[in-house]
Amino acid sequence: MSAAISALPVALALWRRSLNEVLRVRGALLPATVAPVVFLLGTSGQFGRLSGLAGFPTDSYLSWVVPLSCLQGAGFAGAATGANLARDIEQGLFDRLLVAPVPRSSLVAGPILGGVTRSLVPTTVVLLVGLALGAELPGGFVGLIALYVAATGFCAVAGLWGVFMALTFRTQQAGPLMQQGVFLAVFLSTAYTPEVLLRGWLAGAADLNPVTHVLEFGRQATVSGIEPSLAHTYPGLLALLGMAGIFGLFVMVGLRRMGS
Amino acid sequence: MRREARVILALGRRALSVQFRRAQLLMPTFVLPLMLLAVIASGTSAAQGLRDFPDIESYVAFVIPGTIVQGALLAGLTTGTALAGDIEFGFFDRLLAAPVRRASLVIGRLCGTLGLGLLQAAFFLLVAMPFGASYPGGVSAVVLSVLLAAVTAVGIGAIASAIAIRTGSLSLMQSIFPFVFVLLFTAPAFLPRPLLTPALRDLAAYNPLTYVVEAIRGLLSGDPGLGDLWSGVGAAVGLALAMTALATMALEARLRAT
Repeated sequence: MSAAISALPVALALWRRSLNEVLRVRGALLPATVAPVVFLLGTSGQFGRLSGLAGFPTDSYLSWVVPLSCLQGAGFAGAATGANLARDIEQGLFDRLLVAPVPRSSLVAGPILGGVTRSLVPTTVVLLVGLALGAELPGGFVGLIALYVAATGFCAVAGLWGVFMALTFRTQQAGPLMQQGVFLAVFLSTAYTPEVLLRGWLAGAADLNPVTHVLEFGRQATVSGIEPSLAHTYPGLLALLGMAGIFGLFVMVGLRRMGS
Repeated sequence: MRREARVILALGRRALSVQFRRAQLLMPTFVLPLMLLAVIASGTSAAQGLRDFPDIESYVAFVIPGTIVQGALLAGLTTGTALAGDIEFGFFDRLLAAPVRRASLVIGRLCGTLGLGLLQAAFFLLVAMPFGASYPGGVSAVVLSVLLAAVTAVGIGAIASAIAIRTGSLSLMQSIFPFVFVLLFTAPAFLPRPLLTPALRDLAAYNPLTYVVEAIRGLLSGDPGLGDLWSGVGAAVGLALAMTALATMALEARLRAT
């Protein structure tokens, strides 16, 4: 309990530090915001005609890919947490933080919380661009809450993954690995088409991939064939908790190894 | 002239060996495009049922030009990232003190990109074969496609190098990773141009990668109707020459500023 109490101010200070970076570094949020918008426009432009195929739950492909791009944007914001930590490790700041008499988990909790806060920007921008271009919002307010919980939860998971990579490689050059982990997690799901239209091994992979459930959780907002319900919510929440638990464990092991 | 060629070759060899020494960091440029190929080939193969989709022998072979171009984009970006690392950690300053032409420093780095682009494209085409890709265009078409991809990688590498030289920031180079996908998505990378949405179809006409993708598609399928070879060659070579000149100018501007 006392460890948790001493960890909280540290985590909050590091959270503020990671948000300060957004204010001080011009364009710090730009890549994480522009990239998912690019993906939204690119994917809907490339594959828009697929919604005309039998088995697609909605006739608006844009509505299908808005949650995907929201998750990607949130995932990039989370992965950036790892890249920033790698920079702090490379420049020696993290070594100084490690000698502080605070629980090591607080040193990563703050930046991850910062990433989650930052992820609200790309999620909102993607959603607004999608809606402006004609995406639907049949899930209403409840669906919107689901979309934001899915996006911020996925950002936290991506943040843990990024931090794990940073603690493992201890170099900023591991940045692409962090981002591409997010890419793969999202792509190996029902990213482009619903499960009935997937062929071969991808159908099996998407079925096993927890991100498929997170996407379905978020799609309650924009896809008319996926109405808000507990059946579409619980699997997504469980998937987020499971992934956070596994990567959280990896991060704790990585932190224990740092400086030893 | 001979000495410059030696410098260029040495720098190219170094660029390649540095990248392969840390293979775990290079792996994504080989693995990610293949994963995307696997996902697109499985996830969107139902697109063959759409009206106006051309009659093709293998859907994997149809989408692999998109994978090859994606690989070229990532190889190019890796070049810029490595260069930014050299600038940030001081190695590039030491190179600048050497009595060689500035352009050789840029071209040497891009030689490494050319080698990486060749390896990557050949790797993608080989790996796709057991998964159903066939190349009716024959061996010469495969060789030409690999060359076209490598020249494209040089063009992208030169853009990335220009940005790296201009900014000297490793973290900025890391963060432009998503932007390279603008070039991929505004080309008919995975579906034929007539099946893109009208706005994207119009935009694709201005993207040089459109012509590279279509040329590789036409070559591999042995069907010139899917893409004109010379338009692709023109786009790839033009991009490489123009962007190498841009990177060299960026280097000269950097030297003037410091």
